[in-house]
Amino acid sequence: MTHPTPAQTGITPGETAEQHAHFEARIARGEKIEAGDWMPAEYRRQLIRMISQHAHSEVVGMLPEGEWITRAPSLRRKTILMAKVQDEAGHGQYLYHAAETLGATREDMLQALLSGKAKYSSIFNYPTHSWADVGMIGWLVDGAAIKNQTMLAGCSYGPYSRAMVRICSEETFHHKQGKEMIVAYAQGTPQQRAMAQDALNRWWWPAMMMLGPHDADSPNSGVLTRWGIKLKSNDEVRQEFINEHVPELLEAGLTIPDPDLHQDEHGNWRHGPIHWDEFWAVIRGEQGLNKERLGARQAAHDDGAWVRDALQAYTDRQRAVAAD
Amino acid sequence: MTQPQYPSSDTQWPRWEVFKQDAPNRPHQAVGSVHAGDPQHALLTARNVFVRRPAAVSLWCVREDDILTATPEELTTNFALLDTPGEAGTYHVGVKRTNKRSMTFVDLSGTVQASGSGDALRQAQVMHPDVLAWMVFPETAVVRTDEDPGTVESWFAPAKDKTYKQQQHYGVIGRHVGELKRAGLMPGRAASEEGA
Ligand SMILES: [Fe+2]
Ligand SMILES: [Fe+2]
Repeated sequence: MTHPTPAQTGITPGETAEQHAHFEARIARGEKIEAGDWMPAEYRRQLIRMISQHAHSEVVGMLPEGEWITRAPSLRRKTILMAKVQDEAGHGQYLYHAAETLGATREDMLQALLSGKAKYSSIFNYPTHSWADVGMIGWLVDGAAIKNQTMLAGCSYGPYSRAMVRICSEETFHHKQGKEMIVAYAQGTPQQRAMAQDALNRWWWPAMMMLGPHDADSPNSGVLTRWGIKLKSNDEVRQEFINEHVPELLEAGLTIPDPDLHQDEHGNWRHGPIHWDEFWAVIRGEQGLNKERLGARQAAHDDGAWVRDALQAYTDRQRAVAAD
Repeated sequence: MTQPQYPSSDTQWPRWEVFKQDAPNRPHQAVGSVHAGDPQHALLTARNVFVRRPAAVSLWCVREDDILTATPEELTTNFALLDTPGEAGTYHVGVKRTNKRSMTFVDLSGTVQASGSGDALRQAQVMHPDVLAWMVFPETAVVRTDEDPGTVESWFAPAKDKTYKQQQHYGVIGRHVGELKRAGLMPGRAASEEGA
């Protein structure tokens, strides 16, 4: 006979029903759980997993767009893109901080990313083929991320929720600059229109998939929902994303690459079947640029070693001087 | 501060809590943390991470080891926090007041004279009995940006001039959401409210 695991019940051996009842009552009252409060070990474990993955996604997310900084078509576009990529670095920092409040260390998390043990959003394993991809990523990928992050801003863990509030206010800029760029190209020369359409053809489905598997296939949702970490299901968040973006993309004169897309009687836009085989293949690193992304991350880490060494030498020297 | 429950490696730089002041006469607020080897490194990193947008006139950084935080729940199970030792002197007190959505953890609300960290926490608890968390740290542990106008200008003005980082810079692109809704192209309510 098999026993249910903590991941299923949320209860780890040694924890009492009273502790759980008290904890869940706090969440039901809308209280935020702070770092020093009692929490189920499974709550801590799930949060560290989620937050560190989220942090890694922000950090790896710099790579596909960062490649285009030197090739931006104008100084204005270049400064915007630099600011966006810099923001993503900052988002990674906010999130690593949130995970640290739960006892995870920066070094362990970085190590898990570089060794390939930790996951990050598979959306960043897709290549960026043209400049219009930068705009489309801002509009669709940051747009999808905002839907997810707005939900997480209401989550029960204080430090994660606060990081999300801060991130969302900055993501709105990422979304707007992308939308502005694509709308301009969609109304531009035939070449520009073709470039925008091509970018939409390649990014539409990955953006849909980045909001996660269908609810029926989402293994972690039970305790995450019960403990107020996930306030909406993947399908609900995806529906919000589609409802906002479909009319705007159509208005821009673009064609969404989904022949089954239609509005139901409530006005909700309904999408056709999603090809999850591709999603899982990218997650497993069999398809896409997983190796290249981690290689670039590792190279950045190695290339920065001399800076860390110099800072350490300075710190040691200051201490030695202070001790004299 | 709460003890990590996972083994921590000792090679990472110490963590510094960052406090940001948005305008003169506003409280410093805890915004998050950075890792740094020395005070200048901490302040510079804090600016890069937490002040990429306008609205800052001052930053403070305090080493994690010098900070004592507690929630009411924590104090019911761990009275020993009130006996945490420390140097006698001036302590800053920060409090968290609401569960509302926020970007910041605690607001600094003033200072007390205390015989140590635990004593400062005890006083904070008496002064602010109905809050959601307390934080105390000694004045001697604070490293801060200079308050002279030149420093404030050179540290914080560049972020202010980069208006393209603000969403308002882009205005309304295409038709307004309300218009799309009235045209029936977007559902009037959020999808998550349907069928509830
Ligand atoms: Fe981000
Ligand atoms: Fe973003």
